[in-house]
Amino acid sequence: MRKKLLVGILAVCMTATLLSGCKGKETKTEDASVSATQQEQTEAEKVEDTAEPITLTVFSNLPDRKNGQGLVEQKIIDDYMSENPNVTIEVEALDEEAYKTKFKAYAMNGMPDVVSIWGQPSFLDEVLEAGILEPLNEADYADYGFVSGSLEGFKKDGKLYGLPRNTDVMGFYYNQKMFEDNGWEVPKNYDELLVLGKKIKEAGIVPVAMDGGDGWPLAIYLTDLLVRVDGNIKDIVSNAIATGDFTDPSIVEATKLLAKTAQSGLFQVGYDSQDYGTAMNLFTNGQAAMFYMGSWEASMALNEDISEEVRNNIRAFTMPPITDGKGAQTDIAAWNGGGYAVAAQSEQKEEAIKFLNYMYQPDKLSKYGWENGVGMSAQDQSAYMTGNETNLQNQFTDILNNATSVSGTPINDCGPSVFKTAMESEIQSVCNGTKSVDDFLSVIGETCK
Amino acid sequence: MKKLYSNKLVILSLVLPGILVFIFAILAPICLSVYYGCMDYSGMGKATFNGIDNYKMLLRDAAFGRALLNSLLLAVGFVFIQHPIALIVAAVLDKLQGKAEGFFRCVYFIPNVISVAVIAYLWKFIYNPDFGLINNILKSLGYQEKINWFSPNIAIWSVLIVLIWHGFGWGMLIYYTGIKNIDPVLYEASAIDGANQATTFLKITLPLMKPVIQINVTMAIIAALKQMETVYLLTNGGPGNSTQFAANYLYQQAFKAFRYGYGNAIGIVFIIICLVVTVGLNTIFVEKKEA
Amino acid sequence: MKTEKKQSKIGRAILWIVLIIVAVIQIFPLVWLIDFSLASSNEMFTSGLLIIPKKIQWGNYIKAFIDGHFLLYLKNSILINSLAVLLVVVISIMAAFACRRMEWKLSGFVKTLLLVGMMIPIHATLLPNYKIYNTIGLTDTIWALLIPYVAFSLPQALFLMTGFIAALPVELEEAAVVDGCGIYRIVFLIITPLLKPSISTVAIMTFLNNWNEFMMASTYLSSPKWKTLPFSVLEFTGQYSSNYAVQFAVMALTAAPAVIVYILLNKHITKGVAMGAVKG
Repeated sequence: MRKKLLVGILAVCMTATLLSGCKGKETKTEDASVSATQQEQTEAEKVEDTAEPITLTVFSNLPDRKNGQGLVEQKIIDDYMSENPNVTIEVEALDEEAYKTKFKAYAMNGMPDVVSIWGQPSFLDEVLEAGILEPLNEADYADYGFVSGSLEGFKKDGKLYGLPRNTDVMGFYYNQKMFEDNGWEVPKNYDELLVLGKKIKEAGIVPVAMDGGDGWPLAIYLTDLLVRVDGNIKDIVSNAIATGDFTDPSIVEATKLLAKTAQSGLFQVGYDSQDYGTAMNLFTNGQAAMFYMGSWEASMALNEDISEEVRNNIRAFTMPPITDGKGAQTDIAAWNGGGYAVAAQSEQKEEAIKFLNYMYQPDKLSKYGWENGVGMSAQDQSAYMTGNETNLQNQFTDILNNATSVSGTPINDCGPSVFKTAMESEIQSVCNGTKSVDDFLSVIGETCK
Repeated sequence: MKKLYSNKLVILSLVLPGILVFIFAILAPICLSVYYGCMDYSGMGKATFNGIDNYKMLLRDAAFGRALLNSLLLAVGFVFIQHPIALIVAAVLDKLQGKAEGFFRCVYFIPNVISVAVIAYLWKFIYNPDFGLINNILKSLGYQEKINWFSPNIAIWSVLIVLIWHGFGWGMLIYYTGIKNIDPVLYEASAIDGANQATTFLKITLPLMKPVIQINVTMAIIAALKQMETVYLLTNGGPGNSTQFAANYLYQQAFKAFRYGYGNAIGIVFIIICLVVTVGLNTIFVEKKEA
Repeated sequence: MKTEKKQSKIGRAILWIVLIIVAVIQIFPLVWLIDFSLASSNEMFTSGLLIIPKKIQWGNYIKAFIDGHFLLYLKNSILINSLAVLLVVVISIMAAFACRRMEWKLSGFVKTLLLVGMMIPIHATLLPNYKIYNTIGLTDTIWALLIPYVAFSLPQALFLMTGFIAALPVELEEAAVVDGCGIYRIVFLIITPLLKPSISTVAIMTFLNNWNEFMMASTYLSSPKWKTLPFSVLEFTGQYSSNYAVQFAVMALTAAPAVIVYILLNKHITKGVAMGAVKG
């Protein structure tokens, strides 16, 4: 009997919640219409100091809100909310792969107000074509100190649609203490790197931790190699993508070198199925001697979750040159990729743009970023040099300042997203040897046609 | 009574909620899929009609073929690895009495109630070549080589092991119930005839379990076809497309490669395959039953 | 006679060994999970199978509990699943009764139509449903999950219910009609109480089907408002990407409610699953 009673009560409760759920919605819409009329009234009376409560939604690709870039973003959001008490900012954050998937889902209908974007054709072309992002007035940003050329990827037909967050440089992070303890030296050319890899492996340590499960770090590695082979790669890549013909000897050579590298065991066992976190953890827990990743991870040096012994000894170098290659070590794989934009359909466009501009005030993203050991921003950061930079930060600044050329957008991001998807999946096959170099190049070429 | 039981309005009111749910959640999306399946549509902006081009493309799509092949491998794995073990364990469990029986049954079923999200991430760690559980076990047995459990040739089997492990309790439980339903008199008779346990199992348990086995096998094959969540989190179809499955592939194409139209075309073909296989299996088994 | 006894003793030993090995395989990964969830992150990188943490890190669980929005997601999971069960049970009883007992031409057709849902792969509807929910503003609401959860549990429930209703004696209803009961009273006051065991079967099957679902949840939801338990795990892999121990803690914590409930209700659930599966 008691059981029956319990079931009955439960059922009633559930129906009640269901009903109240519906009711709640109704009242909410009523509220909205009421506030709308109020708004009209206030506008009619031209009383401006009672600010309407506004909720901005931010969709971010930085799920770790306590370290590095995510921390910086959250700090700025908190600042903004405390300076504008009528504004509430809700953040939805997913890691990069999940972010891009969800972004496309959102793109079909209704974007959040402020979103993370990438100023690269693979991401932006279709997005801009669909008119999802709000054009910005470029003249407004003249004195924001953007590094020259950094806005290019975010433009279409002369109009600016987003702002870059970082200047990304790709390189090998290495554990300096581990290198010294074992008598290893930073390789001066690519052959030395491969020899060093063998030595490290014999010592029972992973030579290079590679996030091969995602595909894009491998594609950037390929870009990096292509720069070593041919120096300036922009024309080769854009030609190949325009024609779908990837048989250019430089591309073939770079791909062969990548496959050879992967099969020589430079990366950890099972690299082609392991994700970002796994690769990074191998390195930060002293299981791997090197980690191939971008400058945005320079904040590792300040991450308290990483043991002091490792975190204080992280250094970096760029891809070493290859024999007979046209590119030098100072020709770096670097680009302005990630950034922010405002959704065209946003109902609070003005506030969203205001917030966007707030983020890019030089003393926000650039300053906070620098203080938190994140890599370089896309703006002039020289004013915020404190002398307390981590060694990593100084190294990356030097790398960038001494660069003789910059690769621009990595190869996988230069084509349409079908190309990107195919390339990032097939590159795993060419690395682990299940696909030949020729097959790989013809398959990715096929997607460009 | 008859009048009361054929009141059209009452009937309508009783079945309407069910029909509405069906229309809204199953029929409408399928129709929409058919529509978008004939479109060249990125998911944003304009859609242009392209007839059956998507389906032609699908015919030549090696990744989709691989996905179907993987479903087949998975089904084979379920039927020839998971089910025999489950059946034998169920038969063995049947011999136990009292608390031990309940304990084992409970333990076997526990993985089944755990979320796929947890299972997939857990097994990522278990398989990790550098610090994973399996390679640590091998190491403690003296095998020093690091094995890559997700290398292209064996990745699909590694996925299979996870699925077998996860679904083992379910299959076992159903066989167990089937065995419990067998009339004990039959066992007594065979004991009097002097049959040993193995013969009893082969001559009595197995034939009587045939309908249960058929249901279980049908469900396993369909589950293999519909597989998505574990693969999505464990390998996302990689490396290459070596662990690709139809559901995962259509999701990737629509939300990753900006080919919403193509994704829908895959969805339609996928639905048709599922329908054909389900109906096919049912007719095969029903005919057999009647024969 | 003696050898036979010996044989059966050996047989029994083998039997136990088999059962224990399978049990260890099934349960050890979970023991491993809990073990490392109590360690600190860098202790993971040992070659031992299990470790004794230098210091037991309860903090991992505190982080998992708070940053994983454990209570909110648990509440959402319970609410959404309970509602789905309630709707599935009510709708399936009504439809089953109408198709099985009432007299109308289309009863067979409607029943088959509803059962077809059992064959449709749920993930094939992800793309079009996303579009539909978006257009009518259902994304990020509880309905975006409730509707598909109900829709895809309904066919099986209907199948089971028609079977059970068919087995009920008609005399009861005849008596009720004589007493002047309407159809609704017959369905909800006379039939439903008799279906108690089948209702629990349907409820258990629906719960097991939907409790751990996350693919639709992650596609249709964006704000934490209605997110369900599996999200704790998904979100943590990004949020605590460099802290494995906390990731382990959140996995253990997420798995806990279902495991505990299963152990407590073990007998009922076993019975329910067995009944549902064998009949289905």
